[in-house]
Amino acid sequence: MKVPQQVARLGVVFAAAIAALLVARSFLVPETFGELGHYRAAAIDSIAAHPKKYAGHQECAACHDDLAAKRAAGNHRGVACEVCHGPQQAHVDAPLDVKPPAPRDRGFCPLCHAYNPSRPTGFPQIDPVAHNPLRPCITCHDPHAPVPPAVPEECSACHGQIARQKALSHHANLPCVTCHQVPQQHKVTPRVIRPTKPAERAFCGRCHAEGASGPAEAPRIDLAAHHPRYLCWQCHYPHYPETQ
Amino acid sequence: MQGYIYPNEFELQWSLLIVLYPYITGLVAGAFILASLERVFNVKEVQPTYRLALLTALAFLLVAPLPLQAHLGHPERSYEIFLTPNRKSAMAMFGFVYAWYLTVVLLLEIWFEYRKDMVLWAREAVGWRRWLYYGLTLGATDLSDPSLKFDDAAGRWITVIGIPSAFLLHGYVGFIFGSVKANPWWSSVLMPVVFLFSAIVSGIALVLILYVVISLFRSRPVDMRCLDKLASFLFYAMIVDVSLEMLDFVHRLYESEESIDILSQMIESRLFISLIVLQLVLGTLIPLGFLGVFSPALHRGLARGSDELRRLIYLMSAVLVEIGIFSIRWNVVIGGQLFSKSLRGLTVYKVELLGLEGLATTLVLLALPFVILWVLVKVLPPWEEPAGLRRLDGV
Repeated sequence: MKVPQQVARLGVVFAAAIAALLVARSFLVPETFGELGHYRAAAIDSIAAHPKKYAGHQECAACHDDLAAKRAAGNHRGVACEVCHGPQQAHVDAPLDVKPPAPRDRGFCPLCHAYNPSRPTGFPQIDPVAHNPLRPCITCHDPHAPVPPAVPEECSACHGQIARQKALSHHANLPCVTCHQVPQQHKVTPRVIRPTKPAERAFCGRCHAEGASGPAEAPRIDLAAHHPRYLCWQCHYPHYPETQ
Repeated sequence: MQGYIYPNEFELQWSLLIVLYPYITGLVAGAFILASLERVFNVKEVQPTYRLALLTALAFLLVAPLPLQAHLGHPERSYEIFLTPNRKSAMAMFGFVYAWYLTVVLLLEIWFEYRKDMVLWAREAVGWRRWLYYGLTLGATDLSDPSLKFDDAAGRWITVIGIPSAFLLHGYVGFIFGSVKANPWWSSVLMPVVFLFSAIVSGIALVLILYVVISLFRSRPVDMRCLDKLASFLFYAMIVDVSLEMLDFVHRLYESEESIDILSQMIESRLFISLIVLQLVLGTLIPLGFLGVFSPALHRGLARGSDELRRLIYLMSAVLVEIGIFSIRWNVVIGGQLFSKSLRGLTVYKVELLGLEGLATTLVLLALPFVILWVLVKVLPPWEEPAGLRRLDGV
């Protein structure tokens, strides 16, 4: 049977295209492609040949065995040295010339420890704005052996903003517990168990009512006549320096 | 942003260009299936749009991979999917689906369809045009009867192969989305089928628009039998498309998986304009109403307007359909990335204007097929003119 002219011509074109693809393949597909999987096997060697930047924590332990032992026993045992100190192969090669940095500013630790709802429950998290403002983390926490979140000694550990405001207010000398009753459990589950606020006008009246026994400079008002339907702190925020 | 989302969900990875890609491939598949109506199913009324539909499909197919290229981080490496095919990756097989459709289906069908004309044009033309047409015939200049019969038979067979191929091309795009099992908005076995029928709808609407507009510019009368038929097919395809989408929708509601709350929130807030207003009301209900009333699809037309009125209504409906189908693509691609996998929050997507994946690039890519089509129509005029009137310069 005679092959139609069209088929012959198209056959040539398709054959040429397929041949071109096969020729291109033979030139362009790397030799070791497919040996180990759908990739160039030699890529492993070429990646391995890159200059090393990270030394690995075993290298650090060779000299800093005290710190390594301390870290291995602490809560940061899963955090390798170079996570905080950066890639240190250069330091291993020339220990005296290249010194590893140690992050001391407050911006670093919150990368892991700032409050974020997607972090696992129980993971130590703080609000960097409110938590002991301005103090570097390492003043209280040893990064090589951090202890679990201790019960805060002072209210200012978490309520730093309020503490700073109050320090400039007329109430600077009053301890927080003068006005707030703080259950012990508040320090463990702060969002569940909350401290109290003064619930009666008479509470403020202990210093501010006419004839009260408080300091002479504290302003006095007639409790019965002065906006009797409101609690005092609904108008006078007690932590503000400008509170009248 | 609203509610809770994971940090890596804040920014959308699949942008406006990935909305454009299924839109364009849909137009290709739809236009081709329209062309097959005349060729395989012998719907003689739509014959005036047969060649135009083929050229439209080709023009859009040539642009289809460009949004993907512009989206890639290393577009210069994209040819590697041909060299080292990965049969386990649907995305990596795109090159072969595309190449099959382009070369074996579209180019071959156009070549067989135009071969006789190209030989005649090569004989009539002078200068470089003569060589252009001769080159396009690949030297197959035999115009004997058996040879022409072979062209016709070959064209018919290629169309027969082409229909499942067009289904493959666009069904494949739906398959990519439908097989993302982690995403409840996408993961649906109906996705390829819904994509396919929306593709047919958009393809018919596009060819209808092009036919009316080009006839206007050429000062040629529009064949109203053809246009009525196109409008009827558009109506039928839309009915199937809407039914499938409703099936998908009702199925999701009935299943009421855990994702249903966040998806309802998303539809009511983020997708309200694009899904309810654009896709459902403007893109579906209004054109369906107009086409149902004025096209001969139902009982030879419930109301017979004048030809002029019907032309306007068909054109307006087709434009609305195109807007609606683009909204469908938007709602699928963007909608699937707006809600958090935590099912607890929604993010926002803001289209950038001038970036590589921005609005400007999208508009250029959307205009490009029309430029290509203009060139194709110049080189391969799709009109059947009386012998004395035919001009080689096309339009």
